Amino acid sequence: MSNRNDISRRSMLKVMGGVGASLAIGIFPTISCAADPKKPGVVFEPSAFVKIDPDGLVTVTICRSDMGQGVRTSLAMLVAEELDVDWKKVRVIQADTSSKYGRQGTGGSSSITGMNHSMRQVGATARAMLVAAAAKQWSVDPASVKTESGNAIHPDTGKTLAYADLTAAAAAQPMPTTGILLKDPSQFKIVGKPTNRVDNLDVVTGKAVYGLDVKVPGMAYAVIARPPAFGAELNTMDDTAARKVPGVLDVQKFRNGVAVIASNTWAAISGRDALKLDWKPGPNVDVTSKSIREKLVATLIDHRPVSADAKVVEATYDFPFLAHATMEPMNAVADVKGDQCTLWAPTQVPNGAQGAAAGVLGVPPANVNVNVTLLGGGFGRRLQTDFIEEAVGLSKQTGKPIKLLWTREDDMQNDFYRPTSHHSFKAALDGSGNPTVWSHQALQASGNPGAQFRTNGLQYTIPDAQMRFGGAGVPVRTGPWRSVEHSLINVANECFVDELARAAGKDPFEFRKALIHDERLKTVLVLAAEKAGWGKPLPKGHARGIACFSGYGSHAAHVVELSVVNGEVKLHRVVAAVDCGLAINPKGVEAQIQGAITDGLSTALRAQITIDKGGVVQTSWTGFKWMTLDAMPVVEVHVVPSTGASGGMGETGYPSVPAAVANAIAAATGKKVRKFPIKISELA
Amino acid sequence: MPLYKIKVNGVQRSIDAVADMPLLWALRDLMDLTGSKYGCGIGACGACTVLLDGAETQSCQITVGEIGHKSVTTIEGLSKDGSHPLQKAWVEQDVPQCGYCQTGQIMAAAALLKRKPHPTDADIDETFAHHICRCGTYQRIREAVKVAAGGSK
Repeated sequence: MSNRNDISRRSMLKVMGGVGASLAIGIFPTISCAADPKKPGVVFEPSAFVKIDPDGLVTVTICRSDMGQGVRTSLAMLVAEELDVDWKKVRVIQADTSSKYGRQGTGGSSSITGMNHSMRQVGATARAMLVAAAAKQWSVDPASVKTESGNAIHPDTGKTLAYADLTAAAAAQPMPTTGILLKDPSQFKIVGKPTNRVDNLDVVTGKAVYGLDVKVPGMAYAVIARPPAFGAELNTMDDTAARKVPGVLDVQKFRNGVAVIASNTWAAISGRDALKLDWKPGPNVDVTSKSIREKLVATLIDHRPVSADAKVVEATYDFPFLAHATMEPMNAVADVKGDQCTLWAPTQVPNGAQGAAAGVLGVPPANVNVNVTLLGGGFGRRLQTDFIEEAVGLSKQTGKPIKLLWTREDDMQNDFYRPTSHHSFKAALDGSGNPTVWSHQALQASGNPGAQFRTNGLQYTIPDAQMRFGGAGVPVRTGPWRSVEHSLINVANECFVDELARAAGKDPFEFRKALIHDERLKTVLVLAAEKAGWGKPLPKGHARGIACFSGYGSHAAHVVELSVVNGEVKLHRVVAAVDCGLAINPKGVEAQIQGAITDGLSTALRAQITIDKGGVVQTSWTGFKWMTLDAMPVVEVHVVPSTGASGGMGETGYPSVPAAVANAIAAATGKKVRKFPIKISELA
Repeated sequence: MPLYKIKVNGVQRSIDAVADMPLLWALRDLMDLTGSKYGCGIGACGACTVLLDGAETQSCQITVGEIGHKSVTTIEGLSKDGSHPLQKAWVEQDVPQCGYCQTGQIMAAAALLKRKPHPTDADIDETFAHHICRCGTYQRIREAVKVAAGGSK
């Protein structure tokens, strides 16, 4: 997941001045609560990312997409911290695709690691100009001026000026080119404090605007009938009945399907239901989950030979395809007018969407403006732009603004799935039970030619460790899913490490602790074990499993406690320990870990996408089962206090969870887990 | 298309819709009440939950023609300004992640508290067993319900 951060300080500072470019975000209901200045006067807008109104309202523009990870809050906190303003006076708005915001993309858990410094500089630069303005007014040395909670203060004379009263003078200050100092973390008043999301009130009152909530004048509603299998093609279509459905405006062949255009969503859906479509099954009609697995297994090669006196341990693990199944299915609103296009979309890649729309229309990207709404979940699905291209194509084809809805069925069956994979391990233990050889073949079924697992360093010190990455092409679209290849490789690794420990007759926690080479990872492993009471007696039938993961600049470990009763897994407790460096918003970090635990439990025990007749079997939540509140265990999250470099938190919390579940099940049953999602009846 | 009169959030609304249009789409497309969310259309996720005469109802599972004289309350009608105890608790406990399902969760909680002002954990389990939060905000949902009921923190 690429995520370039092109916002150089220079480009930020270039966009300054009293006039200030409009930050209006289109005609859809605003997703911010930013108010127009009530007091007349000059708006201080030292960069595209922050402005202060004469009534003291601070507006921060966020150029990363919020899909639930809280980045609209955490990035604004960084600006507010360096600016020294009252957090209650801060409002957040979303950037459009003006070039002044730099290239925008949200993925790879990179918003904090990539934007931390530049957002702090945005605040610090604005603060320096406010300080200079106050110093000039008081004829004092700027170095003697302090700031606090939206005020410039001169302690020697006791003079105070509110930022609100300095906007005109600050806007007249030259842009500082050097000497912008950032705070020492010990001075932080906002960063590092548990902070509620800026969008909470809008969310709980139903005012928050997601892609599906956008309505523009003259808009028509569209759904698309899609092929039942990958590669299937439309043979014949009878749209007589569909056209008679009240509210259906038109039926048009569109790409490899049929679009129904209507005056409301229900008419579009009903029209689609009334279509009589005959599909040519296409070349993939014999593809099933089983055939895909066989194709992967066929690419295995022999593991290296291991010396005869070593204890050899072998295992295989299989993982299914997974849908992203964002709560808000794919959708977009596109309005193509001549060679211009306006988009409203829940997208992780505003510039990717801009480019994709431009490609559909054959116009320069600058002719496309993308308004990023809130995202009802992302998890990597909204890195793709297929749904955006469709909305743009339909708007062009119909000459109307189009709101394209993917029903849940469309969404579930036309995802870019987390790949299915097969893992084969062989390892050797020496006489003391220490691993000397580790051989791992990770074989991924990829729908993207050329896409392969990237190297994923083993987090344990083993003298002769080798990983082979391979796989096979399949006619199933695949793409990044929360933690990408780590959701496969690390889960498999962590299951196998437990099997090694068991074969060595060692405690899986102590076994890991002795082999982990990263001190921070070791610390979270120890913390999770301590907090979970690792090694302490458990109620009869209960068992614990442990696993850990380093990635995205952060570290996580989980201990899962469960029991297996009558063939069913009962989850009792999950303890997480994480080290993400300085937690910008500890409440956000906790939320990410809680969410990752839910994902880990769901995918360990319930959720999978299977393929039959070349298409996806599951259609909705009834088949793609997710955790619900009633099945959740007690969840505890422990964050290591740190002032170190802040790491990403969107994905780090996932990979160790399914492994800890598998390891706990193995401990509870004495059987080996070979396949996800884990069914007790299938254990070997 | 026939004209239906439906009482929504205390206001009598006239809508021009086919009888089989689910209430969800009437709310969203015809009344601009977009707080009720589409998540599946088959009653499997709870994102579209509203109150029908005070009872939890999935608005994708009842049609415009079936509402009759019953009174519909959506998230927009729970309070004018987010001042309902559940909304306040949801904000204070920082429940939302992506937030998409939360209006449905809150409406389910509202129906629960109406029936049981001091719900047990088992009551909460039962109520939310058919509500999916893909972000996994379940710990905070439970806590927020308890806070709104005056029972915790």
